[in-house]
Amino acid sequence: MVDNGSQPSCHAGDIAQQQQAVNTDLTCLIVQLISTAELTDGTVGGGIEIDNVVEEQDTKDVDEGGDAGMDGENLPPGSYELLQLEKDEILAPHTHFCAICGKGFKRDANLRMHMRGHGDEYKSPAALAKPPRDASVENAVVKRYSCPFVGCKRNKLHKNFQPLKTILCVKNHYKRSHCEKSHTCSRCHTKKFSVLADLKTHEKHCGRDKWLCSCGTSFSRKDKLFAHVALFQGHTPALPSEEPKASSDQAGLVGSQQEPAKLASSIDSFMWGNSLSNDSALDVKGLESCSDDFLSTANYGSFNFSFGRLDEFIGSSSESSFAMLPPDHFQSAQKRGGN
Amino acid sequence: MSREGRRLDHGGGGGDDVAGGVGVLVLSLDLLGQVLDRLRDPRDRKACRLVSRAFERAEAAHRRALRALRREPLPRLLLRAFPALERLDLSACASLDDACLAAAVAGAAGAGDLRIRRVCLARASGVGWRGLEALVAACPRLEAVDLSHCVGAGDREAAALAAAAGLRELKLEKCLGVTDMGLAKVVVGCPRLEKLSVKWCREISDIGIDLLAKKCPELRSLDISYLQVGNESLRSISSLEKLEELAMSVDVSRCDHVTSQGLASLVDGRNFFQKLYAADCLHEIGQCFLSKLATLKGTLTALKLDGLEVSDSLLSAIGEDCVNLVEIGLSKCSCVTDEGISSLVARCSHLKKIDLTCCNLITNSALDSIAENCRMVECLRLESCSLINEKGLERIATRCPNLKEIDLTDCGVNDAALQHLAKCSELLILKLGLCSNISDKGLTFISLNCTKLVELDLYRCNSITDDGLAALASGCKRIKQLNLCYCNKITDSGLGHLALLEELTNLELRCLVRITGIGISSIATGCKSLIELDLKRCYSVDDAGLWALARYALNLRQLTISYCQVTGLGLCHLLSSLKCLQDIKMVHLSWVSIEGFEMALRAACGRLKKLKMLSGLKTVLSPDLLQLLQAYGCRIRWVNKPLVYKDG
Repeated sequence: MVDNGSQPSCHAGDIAQQQQAVNTDLTCLIVQLISTAELTDGTVGGGIEIDNVVEEQDTKDVDEGGDAGMDGENLPPGSYELLQLEKDEILAPHTHFCAICGKGFKRDANLRMHMRGHGDEYKSPAALAKPPRDASVENAVVKRYSCPFVGCKRNKLHKNFQPLKTILCVKNHYKRSHCEKSHTCSRCHTKKFSVLADLKTHEKHCGRDKWLCSCGTSFSRKDKLFAHVALFQGHTPALPSEEPKASSDQAGLVGSQQEPAKLASSIDSFMWGNSLSNDSALDVKGLESCSDDFLSTANYGSFNFSFGRLDEFIGSSSESSFAMLPPDHFQSAQKRGGN
Repeated sequence: MSREGRRLDHGGGGGDDVAGGVGVLVLSLDLLGQVLDRLRDPRDRKACRLVSRAFERAEAAHRRALRALRREPLPRLLLRAFPALERLDLSACASLDDACLAAAVAGAAGAGDLRIRRVCLARASGVGWRGLEALVAACPRLEAVDLSHCVGAGDREAAALAAAAGLRELKLEKCLGVTDMGLAKVVVGCPRLEKLSVKWCREISDIGIDLLAKKCPELRSLDISYLQVGNESLRSISSLEKLEELAMSVDVSRCDHVTSQGLASLVDGRNFFQKLYAADCLHEIGQCFLSKLATLKGTLTALKLDGLEVSDSLLSAIGEDCVNLVEIGLSKCSCVTDEGISSLVARCSHLKKIDLTCCNLITNSALDSIAENCRMVECLRLESCSLINEKGLERIATRCPNLKEIDLTDCGVNDAALQHLAKCSELLILKLGLCSNISDKGLTFISLNCTKLVELDLYRCNSITDDGLAALASGCKRIKQLNLCYCNKITDSGLGHLALLEELTNLELRCLVRITGIGISSIATGCKSLIELDLKRCYSVDDAGLWALARYALNLRQLTISYCQVTGLGLCHLLSSLKCLQDIKMVHLSWVSIEGFEMALRAACGRLKKLKMLSGLKTVLSPDLLQLLQAYGCRIRWVNKPLVYKDG
């Protein structure tokens, strides 16, 4: 084990501590050395400096205060092995590389599948099998990771250093804290994330169960909203389809008062079958005619949709509604409308 | 108005000189209006205005209430014809929808001309929030709105109503879409609310009721029956100082959210409390509630404790505490005994309404006590009290001349009992279902004296024949609701007698296998007010009957013709002619082809609101027809019943 760039431990008392730790873990370290050496042999040529991963191994910086709450496991500084990956390494999507052709893979299983193409020796069950987990279970050395970004609290050089537990933690931490956020929530269009998994978690909760008051305040729970409404005069809960109006004095009547004005104009556009004035044809005539006819086809035409259902029909333009009528009736309706 | 017209009215008097006019024209418009106000029956008023133009003008200027049956004339009526209109009833208006409602009030919005104060839109399922918004904007004096049974109504509709700041009474019974949010909108928008009913709006919870209690201090009457509310709501409600009436019945499945303590805290310290309807709320009544009842000594007038396990001591305590009780409901309460009833009525001599449905331990001695003490009793419900017979009823009939309603379904009633009951000449409602000992003789007794009878239920009284109906038609001319299901001795001639009943509105004739189209024709021509007709399993009724209905029964709104012998032609004609028909049940019409159904349903699709058909038709009818029906707001019930012919 070569100490590359390791820092000399300065304090006498700590040296003893350090040596103790080293002694107790010696066997395991040797085992690890052998296994990592194999790993190094297997993945050379990928252009990625995995050597760094393995060999850059710092002795614990015993100077660190800030032990409190570290890992939540109270790992004393001397008891774990600290690794630091490089930025490129962390951000790289591929972590496993073919030794022969250098193709990169995200998962070890995919790499093993790929290796089959390089010859029969890789098709043996031993080569295809997942590397046994027993080794990692027996491996008593706890690994922790340091963030390469200097100044970050997760960086080994930091005064209150808190290491990260796994490579995945490092990746997520680095992306979240030191990278720009490129993924945006498609619902609220405001929240941005750098890690895709975070975005997905957010989208589960985004826009759901928003309790709004007419003053614009939003609440996470219904009883909170109601307590707010009970407290203030003039506030009402805002129904989801309406936007919260900035109602000041009126007791929440502002919103609904605006609607009838709009209604008058919208009536004309909606009621192609019925109308306010007696001029447009399809309405009263259609109704009167069907009172006399037995099975009059005028019944088909004089639709009087109530608005609630009209939404579906209007949305897909009135042509589609007319499509239900026989074509000659449509023309006759048009003619009557032209009168 | 033309000169000629005026001259006709005068009958030869001077030209424009009104003062010198003859007859009605002597009176001013104002006085004529007052005369019309005193005419109770709308048909009398109609007769007046058809006879004289002066009356017509007076009526138009003074008319306060309108019940529209068709929607086409609404704009003219509301905006121009009746300027003084205050009460508008649109519950029976066929095919009423948002566009129509908005159009009807469109001219008045802004000018605030409409003086309408009360609007009834019960069961108007085509009306949504747009129509309601237009209505509220046009009627600034709106005080009372009834939106009951509009099952599609939801929070947006409630929000529309919240714009009526002066609203005092609101009924949202069975508006299933209304949640706490809608209720909150209403209570914030209408702080002067005095009467509110949200019965069956199961989405409302304690949170909504709590806000209601905080925002509407004027509330006097509240109905929260069948909601998922518990003691929390009771606590909130107890802060309403002016509350007088509370109805909070729950499902028979027994709501466990309410305890006796909750009810006790509600009742505590209340000075004005008058009515408490708490059916099925409690398993047993605790001492705390009982003791609180004593505080209501003077004021409690109505108490409903259906489904409760009572005891004699409890009834005695109630009798002692609440001496002013006018209405007591003990329907389906267990352990109601004669002694309990005696101790109850001994002190509550003002009782007018006594409900003892399914209290099957009751015997004639209980009736004796009631007859002895409660001389003013008007409504007596004794369904399934099978130990009762004519002796007890004799006492009641003799001592209680004010009896207006009596329910004796499934009791041991015979002709002798009816002879006694006939002494109650004020009788309005008589229910004799499942009393197979009754025969034409008993009916004759009734018809001789009970001329005011309005509702008669003879369900499964299979000894009734045509002669009984003849007696009925000659004596009880005001009958509106008549149930003759399974009285299978009735034939067409009996129906011919029924044709004399001009006020008949609801008629149920299930499984009368002997009646044919002839009988139905006579009903259709004679009963001009017919609204509901049930002909299920009248196997001999054919197209002829339907033709008659299509031609004459133009007010018909609800019809059941399942299992009848009708063909597609008859059905098509029926559904295209009856403009008011909203609800039709036609299961197992085996002679109607698929094309027949298609044509018939297309002809009526704008008007139908409820439809019941065999589920096999669901796959066979064209999908765009079903879509069309749904678009018009029609609810279709598909049933899967085997085709079995029953006799009774």
